[in-house]
Amino acid sequence: MGLSKQDFESLGEKILNLVEADGAQLWLHETEDLQLRSANNDITSNGVVDRFKIGITVNYGKQSASIEINQSNDEAIREAVKKVQQMAKLAPEDPEHLPPVEPGDYLTPINFSEATAGMNPEDALKQIRPVIEQGRSAGVDSAGYLERSISSSAQINTNGVFIHEQSTGVKFSITARAAEGRGSGWASTQVTDVSELDLAAVGDSAIQKALASRNAKARKAGRTTVVLEAPGVRDLLSILSWNLGQRNYDEDRSFLNGLVGEDQELIGNQIFGENATLYSDPLYEPAPCGVHYYGIPRKKTMWIEDGVMKNLMVQRFWAQKNGIDPLPWPGNLIMPGEGKSTDELIASVEDGVLITRLWYLRQVQPQTLLYTGLTRDGTFAIKDGKIDGPVNNFRFNESPANVLKNIVASGKQERVLGSEGDSPMHVPPLVVKDFNLSSVSEAS
Amino acid sequence: MHRRDWLKGTSAAGITLLSSRWVTSAEAADALSEKFPRLAEVALSHATSLGASFADFHLMQTDSESLFAREEMVQGVDADSKLGCSVRVLVDGAWGFSATENLSETAIRKVTESAIALAKGQAGWRAKPIELEILPAYQGNWELPIEVDPFTVSLEDKVEQLLGINRSALNTGANYCFSYLLAVRERKWLANTFGSRITQSRVRLHPSFSVTLTDPKQGGFASRESFLPPRAAGYEHFRDWNAVEEAALAVEQAKEKMAAPSVTPGKKDLVIAPSNLWLTIHETVGHPTELDRALGYEANYAGTSFCTPEKLDDLRYGSERVNIFADRTAEQGLSTIGWDDDGVQTKGKEFPIIKDGIFRNYQMAMGQAALIGRDGGSNGCAYSDGYDSIPIQRMPNISLQPGTDDAVTAESLIADVEDGIFAEGRGSWSIDQQRYNFQFTAQVFHKITDGKLDGMYKDVAYQGNSVDFWNACDGLGGKGTYEMGGSFRCGKGQPGQGAPVSHGAVPARFRQINILNTAEESGKKTASKCDCSGGGTAWA
Ligand SMILES: [Zn+2]
Repeated sequence: MGLSKQDFESLGEKILNLVEADGAQLWLHETEDLQLRSANNDITSNGVVDRFKIGITVNYGKQSASIEINQSNDEAIREAVKKVQQMAKLAPEDPEHLPPVEPGDYLTPINFSEATAGMNPEDALKQIRPVIEQGRSAGVDSAGYLERSISSSAQINTNGVFIHEQSTGVKFSITARAAEGRGSGWASTQVTDVSELDLAAVGDSAIQKALASRNAKARKAGRTTVVLEAPGVRDLLSILSWNLGQRNYDEDRSFLNGLVGEDQELIGNQIFGENATLYSDPLYEPAPCGVHYYGIPRKKTMWIEDGVMKNLMVQRFWAQKNGIDPLPWPGNLIMPGEGKSTDELIASVEDGVLITRLWYLRQVQPQTLLYTGLTRDGTFAIKDGKIDGPVNNFRFNESPANVLKNIVASGKQERVLGSEGDSPMHVPPLVVKDFNLSSVSEAS
Repeated sequence: MHRRDWLKGTSAAGITLLSSRWVTSAEAADALSEKFPRLAEVALSHATSLGASFADFHLMQTDSESLFAREEMVQGVDADSKLGCSVRVLVDGAWGFSATENLSETAIRKVTESAIALAKGQAGWRAKPIELEILPAYQGNWELPIEVDPFTVSLEDKVEQLLGINRSALNTGANYCFSYLLAVRERKWLANTFGSRITQSRVRLHPSFSVTLTDPKQGGFASRESFLPPRAAGYEHFRDWNAVEEAALAVEQAKEKMAAPSVTPGKKDLVIAPSNLWLTIHETVGHPTELDRALGYEANYAGTSFCTPEKLDDLRYGSERVNIFADRTAEQGLSTIGWDDDGVQTKGKEFPIIKDGIFRNYQMAMGQAALIGRDGGSNGCAYSDGYDSIPIQRMPNISLQPGTDDAVTAESLIADVEDGIFAEGRGSWSIDQQRYNFQFTAQVFHKITDGKLDGMYKDVAYQGNSVDFWNACDGLGGKGTYEMGGSFRCGKGQPGQGAPVSHGAVPARFRQINILNTAEESGKKTASKCDCSGGGTAWA
């Protein structure tokens, strides 16, 4: 890992000095990833991967173009600036183009850890070895993925913006499979600071699920109450967040248009259950994130509070056009929980299904935000408040908007991974009623 | 803004300047070719001296250019160039891999050492060593044949054509339209300790558009995306597309969708056009027959497969008429290339996956055939999506072969359906991690009544089990109906890699397939005002 704040500053200055256009915005980004993948109780592929990116956007009035290169020698930079300026001069004027952002009030990020940055391949292999051996001795086939990433970046522009950020992260997930009885279990974690990592606990959780999910019984599809563990909750909330754009709503092509009456305001209206709250906060300690989005400051932002829609994401142009403040894409998502244990959640369900994780989520109907997907790696029946053995997997057809109306209870927040995106999130498992398990999946 | 206003004040010389901006990349490629033997020697000799029994060195340059037009505005003019190298080593039966964008000899020695450290850190606790096959040494050069290099076409021409699409849509009554053009060039240099030195270059192109109609009073909206597939082709693929006409048709179809009756769920006969079927082939045949998946290598991510090795030469995957063939040599195939990223020559490695309905072979990378006791070694299916990715097994072009009767067309297949649906265009897709239960939508679902098209349905999805579905196939179009679809971004692996792949198909008929009403699925009791497009740019 090479570049200091000073290095970014001088590189930025060098590039801006070459720029003749009216305005320019630079995005300099260096990453160092360490990747360990395993399957069948052995390391398979792996890697130490260094990357560097220089992104340059220039504009002449409302004509603009962007280029990204990954070579940082003088010749490559000179050529890139020349090319992107030629492209911009030939680009049609974009009436919606705005000059580079003005400097804002940026928070001091807290998503970097020296310990994580110091992790080397030998350390990582030493940490992963006992987890793989744990699988071997439990008689399961395990497959997992550990990734440590260090990132260092600078956002710089001709309006005086200079933001330097460093971040670290470790993510780990593991699937344990029991050949006898076709059991499968999955567990995951995500941390900023490697010293918080407990790989053995994650491995053990996957193994326990694999053993418990052997010899699944048949259960019919249908709408039912589910206990959705945090990975599935995270997927549904990610999907919801991608669709909270102000412009699509204003243009009558958002699922949100279907949630309010013609004369009703969306913002300030309760459209979800009163136990649904969702917000972002770059300085949220259990799951922090970056403090700006392409130079626009990120602040603590409430999206949904007690079921009331509080804010939508607003692009700069749309904000200017409508005389409102821009509200950038969030870097994390937080849903507070009631803090109940998973056992307590299960105990509250008379008849239902416990779902470990969701998979292959794809949009079926943008008008209702209907998504389909499947359950995977540990699905269990719940009867009279107790686990009543493993059951087959299901395909679901459900909208996150419905889920936020149908929350019955929630548990303790966790920072885990899901199947859709890997931004930091801190969400609880949920009890959701009327969840549409649409058909049976034979996968196990 | 009038469409040509932006050109005022721009000299003709300015326009050709832009088209020359990639010429330096071609020069840079020549310079890299000159440098390559020395860099390869540094990596491979260093790896060998540090104990590697096998090593390869990949140098890759990926250039792309994209243009995005929204209504009458051009909002994205982007270029991207990524250059770097990687070293992969095998030490005592363990892999190590490391990559960098820095092409100095010092950096290459350093990544070689990182790769060696990753491999050596597994010594003493591996359960099983990784074993490779011996590959021939090739001194080779391969370049995708194209007519017009998209990187030499002026921005003016590209923008003009994109804005023409949007204008056509807006003039026909669309409220919104965006169009997009993405061109990618991959240059790859490969050297390995078997003695191969291979240089390759290919280009791919993805033009697309999407039109949207809104009905604020009724609270509904409908979209229709273009059908033109991405191809490994030059600019001619975009130039020769009658997109203006298709955009107008798309708007008419979106209008018809908004007004169409909501489908009654239940079993119906289904005729599927190649523009939709290619993705069904991808998900229900392509992914299940990846050997690494079947053996558990993807268990923590993409999943495993119902199609396990004991089913080879035994499983009746489809009806007798179903033949599905794999190759990396098809003209315009997105997976087409001279050598795979393990250095296996693809010519002569073409293979049937399903022959006369029976499952016959897996897709394999280097060293994998021996894991299931197959002779003949790899069938050339390794791919790495950039200098920073390790090669893994990825899909060749996988295509449904035409039926034996050349006279059969979509119309004749439809003629033999009493109450059914004809599906066109890629919609949304989802399938379980062992590839049993799938659910797909389309851009357009035509209603079939008594052998004829009879308007449209909305709120449709078709759902089933892969093997049952292919066994329900009772009709295939003839040679003249064959079309190739495909995806730029098939997702697999951890970290995720995106691979381009094509799938040829003919129109095909499937009897008594489960049809869902997606409005009911979303919990709406009454028929909605919605259509079922979706999908977007997610990985396939
Ligand atoms: Zn795929």
